[in-house]
Amino acid sequence: MRSLFLCALLGGCTLLQPPPKPAEKPLGPGEIVSAQAAQDVLSIGSSTKAEVRAALGEAVVVDFASGYEVWVYRERPPEKPQEPAAPQAELVLLFAPSGVLSKTRVR
Amino acid sequence: MRRRSRFLFIAFLATCGAAPAQAAEDAVVVTALRHPVAKSYDRMVAGMALFEQRRHLAPGAALRFKLLPRKQQTAMDGVELEIAADSVGIALEVAPDRTFVLERNDVALKEKAKVVPNRKAGTMTWRADVRTPGLPPHTRRLGDLRLECEVGMKAGLISDYPPSFFGWLDELLPQGPSYCHRAEPRYLFFADRPLFSVTLHDGPRREVLSVDRLYAGASRDARWKKGLGYCDCEALIDRAYFVPLGDTSWPDDTLVELEYM
Repeated sequence: MRSLFLCALLGGCTLLQPPPKPAEKPLGPGEIVSAQAAQDVLSIGSSTKAEVRAALGEAVVVDFASGYEVWVYRERPPEKPQEPAAPQAELVLLFAPSGVLSKTRVR
Repeated sequence: MRRRSRFLFIAFLATCGAAPAQAAEDAVVVTALRHPVAKSYDRMVAGMALFEQRRHLAPGAALRFKLLPRKQQTAMDGVELEIAADSVGIALEVAPDRTFVLERNDVALKEKAKVVPNRKAGTMTWRADVRTPGLPPHTRRLGDLRLECEVGMKAGLISDYPPSFFGWLDELLPQGPSYCHRAEPRYLFFADRPLFSVTLHDGPRREVLSVDRLYAGASRDARWKKGLGYCDCEALIDRAYFVPLGDTSWPDDTLVELEYM
């Protein structure tokens, strides 16, 4: 009888526990968690394309005939859409033809 | 031989390949190609009339038109331009910045003249150019851009885009000046140099435009290079931007600040 009571109590506790958190969806190409935090790890005048790719993942790349490249990262949109919809934060990087980061901006 | 007949004859030679290579290179093609570089004179004059009607948008500015390269290899030095009709040919003076002023000529209007540069079709594009004097460096004025759009649409300066190009530019063509009153018209402006950022500035209010409003929206379309050859922004895509012309919360005196690469 005592064992049955303990089993019921433990079972109840298990039921009361919150369900495990679903695994975080991996970031897609050009997605980052925080535009500001991503900008903070970069260094204008020294970060290279390979270093930025290693740190932030693949970007959306717009490359020009001049050799300049613009790389765009966007913060992942919230799973629950906000009303009114907040603009998606973006981190925009400019690489000189040398392949070195020359400008950044967060919006 | 009358002027238009002479142009058509040269165009015919160029199209058939019967002319010597140099002559074909120099040929002025008026109507033989599907998308001739020449523009309709009467539509451009209609654009000038609209400028007068709507000049309250840019009271201190004058109207000029501007020639821009459409291909990377387009040589813009020595561009010559004329109003070509059956019985008149009027040479236009092209300034070093490739702008020019058009004057009204009743004979040219009556004869449905064309405004014709000495460049092959598909090598250049056109825009209206409205600039209020005395602005800070690297800025444009929103009212000037609003008027540029309206005049450009009225004058038929925008080149044809194939359906589905960038998924959105194709909707622009059939529209008139009212297209510019939309909140988000996709009328492309070109800065003097490659752009990194565009900011709207009105008193204490500032807004950096999304990168999606630069480079003809290339950052939103992974296939943007496939359609680039059809866009009149092909050679200037790193200078191209559009602004929220129809958003009336931004007054005409709003400064459009351009940060270059």
